[in-house]
Amino acid sequence: MVRVTTTGLIALFAMGLVALASAVIGSLGVRVVRSTSDFLVASRTVGAAANAGAISGEYLSAASFLGIAGLILRDGVDALWYPVGFTAGYLALVMFVAAPLRRSGAYTVPDFAEARLRSPVLRKVCTVFVVVIGWLYLLPQLQGAGLTVATVTGLPSWIGVVAAAVVVVATVVLGGMRSITFVQAFQYWLKLTALALPAVIALIFFLSDQRTFDRPAPPQFQENTTVDIRTDVVLEVAVPVSFTATGEVDGVQRVDSLVRWDVGTHTVEAPAKLDFPGGSPVPTTVGAPASDESWLTPFPDDRNDGLLATYSLIIALFLGTMGLPHVLVRFYTNPDGRAARRSAVVVLALLGGFYGVVTLLGALSRLYTPQLLVSGDTDAAVLLLPTAVLGSGWAGALLGGLVAAGAWAAFLSTSSGLVVSVAGVLSTDILGSSRVRDFRMSAVVAGAVPLGLSLAVTRLDFSEAVALVFAVAASTFCPLLVLGVWWRGLTAVGSIAGVLVGGLASAGAVAVSLSGFGGTGWVGVLLYRPALATVPAAFLTMVVVSRLTAKQRPADVDQVLLRLHAPERLGLTRDRLEERVKRASG
Amino acid sequence: MSTTGERSTGTVYEQVQASPEFADLRRRLRRFVFPMSVAFLAWYLAYVLLASYAPGFMAIKVLGNINIGLIIGLLQFVSTFAITTIYVRYANKHLDPAAEKIRQQIEGAE
Repeated sequence: MVRVTTTGLIALFAMGLVALASAVIGSLGVRVVRSTSDFLVASRTVGAAANAGAISGEYLSAASFLGIAGLILRDGVDALWYPVGFTAGYLALVMFVAAPLRRSGAYTVPDFAEARLRSPVLRKVCTVFVVVIGWLYLLPQLQGAGLTVATVTGLPSWIGVVAAAVVVVATVVLGGMRSITFVQAFQYWLKLTALALPAVIALIFFLSDQRTFDRPAPPQFQENTTVDIRTDVVLEVAVPVSFTATGEVDGVQRVDSLVRWDVGTHTVEAPAKLDFPGGSPVPTTVGAPASDESWLTPFPDDRNDGLLATYSLIIALFLGTMGLPHVLVRFYTNPDGRAARRSAVVVLALLGGFYGVVTLLGALSRLYTPQLLVSGDTDAAVLLLPTAVLGSGWAGALLGGLVAAGAWAAFLSTSSGLVVSVAGVLSTDILGSSRVRDFRMSAVVAGAVPLGLSLAVTRLDFSEAVALVFAVAASTFCPLLVLGVWWRGLTAVGSIAGVLVGGLASAGAVAVSLSGFGGTGWVGVLLYRPALATVPAAFLTMVVVSRLTAKQRPADVDQVLLRLHAPERLGLTRDRLEERVKRASG
Repeated sequence: MSTTGERSTGTVYEQVQASPEFADLRRRLRRFVFPMSVAFLAWYLAYVLLASYAPGFMAIKVLGNINIGLIIGLLQFVSTFAITTIYVRYANKHLDPAAEKIRQQIEGAE
């Protein structure tokens, strides 16, 4: 039986509170929001600022809350690309597709595909990719819940995974907290507070400290530190270090014996326990910058591969955001294009503020939780920082509870958005039904599959896992949406070919890379970060095949494009939507 | 009821579609959105290039631990925000009035 500490109990209580609150509010919002007209109704009551909070609240997931700080802790300035890319992707979404999609009256990619190209086959293909992208994106969310529970309480991580899945599916089935915009907005502010408070406190400690980051040496353990190794690690030692070890170290079984590591790489098999005396240098996992100085320098090791990988990452994040099923929908809660634009500016400010705080936390955790560099659990940095700075007394425990609650809010808001999107597509396109009962059944399926997956597969770093999903979204839905909105020559056959080429190539490349056949060099980089190759391939396929099948252009293409591009002030869109509402209710 | 509604707005669609003002509006939007995104992406990619081929420049210390690379990195957030603001200004200033004009013309014609 695992004994849970006071800190753990407080954190559990805080997480439970967040979960309970979402479930209760979900059950109060009886109306299941999953059609355009529902969003139209909501749009009359929601202001631009609240809506911006809701968009940010839903967008900031486990990858943002835990993952980015973890990557900053390990990779330093190179990891800045993740938050910059997440923000820029949002801008791309606003500029290219948000307004035309609002006007089309379609709020999912399959809806858009059908409205624009009149092809049931294309609709089916899009449906499959919405479900795949949604499930893959849910995976790191659930695993994030598992990591949070395991880190703050010491309970096994599957408890957190299962609990998160159950809470999310329950809230969606009960009515969906999505229907209430201000809950999402509240969750944004909860997430921001949960990170800003520890960041400010840690910063104060840091400023009254004599330590700096800028040393040619590796980071140091401040005091005697025990590191639990839970997965096998390969470590790089830049400065010789001595410690006490229990477990298999460099292939030799040890029990409480003194080990001295010389410069080079060393291996530790899980489970193991390493006790480092205070003041000793911190070995880091292979591939991460070993010294503080290289941590602050871009591409310390291989600049060619670094350049390629970063370019591909930027393309994936910049173009992938618009393909995420749960992000697009939110734009419907704006009353008109002007308000949508206004809330886009606020969203950008909110995202920037959030990522600024996360980056600061990641940097400070290099000083306060360096043991994570050894165990490889860098995603836990944000969770451990409060107790590392304030100690495990009441102050540390309360702050830790706040952070855990914020993390839980991050998983719940993003996951419920995803489950609603996937369930909506499953029930309308697979079951062909708009009954609430079928939607609820679909929600259970939408949550159960990623639950099974996240228990079965090994955990990747959250931001890395999310980046892979962005690559698939960028290679499938980005070309479809951008060409669909801006090019009248697009045909259904061209779209299907492009989505399939981009989707299969990107997903295939990632699968090959993850199964360990990737190798190194530029081929390996492109397999792991395929967007740089697969996005142009998808665009090209779409254009070429559309040109070859130019005769099959839909007859009403001009009318549809006009609808997409005529600004709201023409009054055309609103009339059309109102009409749909009337038809739906009458 | 709804069918007649569709048909009557259909003619409005055609009117608007044919008008040079609408073509102008689309052109304005396209002329802004695409060059802006290219410039924006180029600025990102330039940073990455600079980081790989001018590490000495990026490592110049400005204040304590803070080097030029870090400052430009954080500026990426600021630039993203700035571009959004510019876009919104442009839309409010140039796109909305153009749309307004088209609308008045349609209403005048009816």
